[in-house]
Amino acid sequence: MDRTLFSSDRVMAPVLSALLGLTVLLLALWPVGAQAIPAFNRQTGQNCVACHAGGQFPELTPYGRLFKLTGYTIGERTVPISAMAVASLSRVANTSKSDDPGADFQKNNKPIFATASLLLGGKVTDNIGAFAQVTYDPYATQAADGSFHGHTAADNIDIRYADRFIGEQRDLIFGFSANNNPSVSDPWNTAAAWMQYVPVPGPTSSRFIDGNAPYPGFGAGGNIAGLTGYAFWNKTIYAELGGYVTSKGPLRIFSAGVANANNTKLSGVNPYWRLAYNREWGAHSLMVGTSGMVARVYDDPLDTSNPASLHRFTDLAVDAQYQYLLDPHSVTAQLVVTSNRHRLPAALGNQPVAFVDANGNALANTNAANTNHVARAKLTYVYRARYGGSVGLFSLTGTHDTAYLTAGLEPGSLTINPDPESSAPSVRAVDGNRTGNPATNGVTLEAFWTPLQYLRIGAQYTAYGRFNGASKNYDGFGRNASDNNTLFIYTWLAY
Amino acid sequence: MKYATLGLLAAAGMFAAGCTNLERSRDLANPKVSATTLAQQVCSNCHGLTGVATSPNFPNLAAQSEPYIVAQLGVFKSHDRHDPEGFEYMWGLSRSLTEQQINGLAAYFAAQPPARQEIEGDRARLAAGKAIFESGVAAKGVPACASCHGAQGQGNATEPRLAGQHVDYLVKQLIVFQRTDERSEDTIMKVVAHELTRDNIEDVATYLQAMPGL
Repeated sequence: MDRTLFSSDRVMAPVLSALLGLTVLLLALWPVGAQAIPAFNRQTGQNCVACHAGGQFPELTPYGRLFKLTGYTIGERTVPISAMAVASLSRVANTSKSDDPGADFQKNNKPIFATASLLLGGKVTDNIGAFAQVTYDPYATQAADGSFHGHTAADNIDIRYADRFIGEQRDLIFGFSANNNPSVSDPWNTAAAWMQYVPVPGPTSSRFIDGNAPYPGFGAGGNIAGLTGYAFWNKTIYAELGGYVTSKGPLRIFSAGVANANNTKLSGVNPYWRLAYNREWGAHSLMVGTSGMVARVYDDPLDTSNPASLHRFTDLAVDAQYQYLLDPHSVTAQLVVTSNRHRLPAALGNQPVAFVDANGNALANTNAANTNHVARAKLTYVYRARYGGSVGLFSLTGTHDTAYLTAGLEPGSLTINPDPESSAPSVRAVDGNRTGNPATNGVTLEAFWTPLQYLRIGAQYTAYGRFNGASKNYDGFGRNASDNNTLFIYTWLAY
Repeated sequence: MKYATLGLLAAAGMFAAGCTNLERSRDLANPKVSATTLAQQVCSNCHGLTGVATSPNFPNLAAQSEPYIVAQLGVFKSHDRHDPEGFEYMWGLSRSLTEQQINGLAAYFAAQPPARQEIEGDRARLAAGKAIFESGVAAKGVPACASCHGAQGQGNATEPRLAGQHVDYLVKQLIVFQRTDERSEDTIMKVVAHELTRDNIEDVATYLQAMPGL
């Protein structure tokens, strides 16, 4: 843990005063008595806390889960639009061990307008409802002169048909979800699409904060087109099964705004499944579940002619979530462990690498396949839906692969040369790797304050115990895992 | 292709707009949806299908006095009851209910068999609660709960059933009465609760939750 980050008044004073100023401004500008609130609130007329545990988004309460599983259809049709925006500042512990700090840490320690989303959500009919998010990234592309250009693209989309048969004998909710991100349809926050700190900074402001730390996920990624069918029986057993294909033709709406060259191309129908056991008693609720996906992804989104160019991903997850919700307390414990197997296209695996071992012998070829394991645990407490804090632990372990190496001993000199100009192929990359080991672990602490249900102000601190395989000198040029420790301060508005 | 997609969406939208499913609707603004359907599809999410709420955040409604439920839905709808649990959850849900739906919901929950909770709390607390319920706190002028809520805590036309209610919910509401004007629809309870200590409140709430099983 980097103590200097906290002890330096020189740094913290302007940060805190800027944050305080922003808060006062927001509170002063807030329209008194405004009734405009996010779309789902308007639809049910309820406060955020009804569906979000302790008012912290996106984690759902037992009622919020039922609201989602019944297709967002509780309530009455209203204007289905709301918006959110995040302003933030992040600061990494050490920017000096970099060849180009200006490029590696572009928006470090600068307040930025980080992201904004337009959310379309709500009841369409008695059985159909939708949640669709369109997100603007102000730093999507960078021109040669260094200026940034924003870009808007489809974010999470979940369109549902749901029905519920409930009576003395049984309670069966079932439905279908057309969505663009495997597990975004899931009602528990330990699902891959939701098990994350929200918000997180963009990569331009920090490349090391929690958002970039390992998360459970599916190799196929997002912005693909899927249809899943699900059932929740007696609020006890939840099962979901579906398949994902490339978002193209009429389905291109699921990846609207994503350039064709970046639009994931899948081969055929790729299965996703989910099974969970749920129990609620008193103020407690517990879920234990499993999920998984098998996906075949073309290496080049612009060339789907060659089946030999497919990446094959097999992802399995086991997750558990416990909630204790009794006013004014909200406690959540979450755990996810995943196994992610990635078989590369034959032409990309088993490649020689340029580095050698200490005796000058060639290193092993790159792997044809890798298996990683990601574990995440998080404990959150919120008081009066107003003051909250959490501790999150993350760990990624996996097979060593010489393909990860960005630095190593060079055949002639048997040294690591820190000057990338004169020492190709070694490059002094701040997220480099000298060991071939992907292992990364650490902890994230967060404290937040929700003075109004539409406004959250928070600070996160992520500390790394290990980064890319080592705690010391992970990049081969002296950068330590703790150099990446990062403070992130944000203001989040939803309206 | 763009036009085809838009056409498809428009057609789907028109088709969907005409769709209602009255038997299993969760539409709170459609007067045609029956109270029983709303109770099952919406209210049950927090209050339970038979009015027995799993979470003590939410009150049990089983066997609750029918006129009392009507009155409460009325003050939620009119915003005259504005304790946090009221406005956070109930203002919105009640805003478009018709008189007929409100009456139907009250009848649905009033007809359910009363909740029998597990007996929690030690004997001393139960005994102290019983004494307050039956005799009040004479030294402080607190009247017996039973005098208005009935000897079995069963409630009547104007006062709610208390027997079998969650301890946590009772404590929360007694504190609302005692310390706030958020439930100004019930001025009597403000006076009644005024002199109760925190221990008194927990004693009587513990007794009331356990009451049907004693």
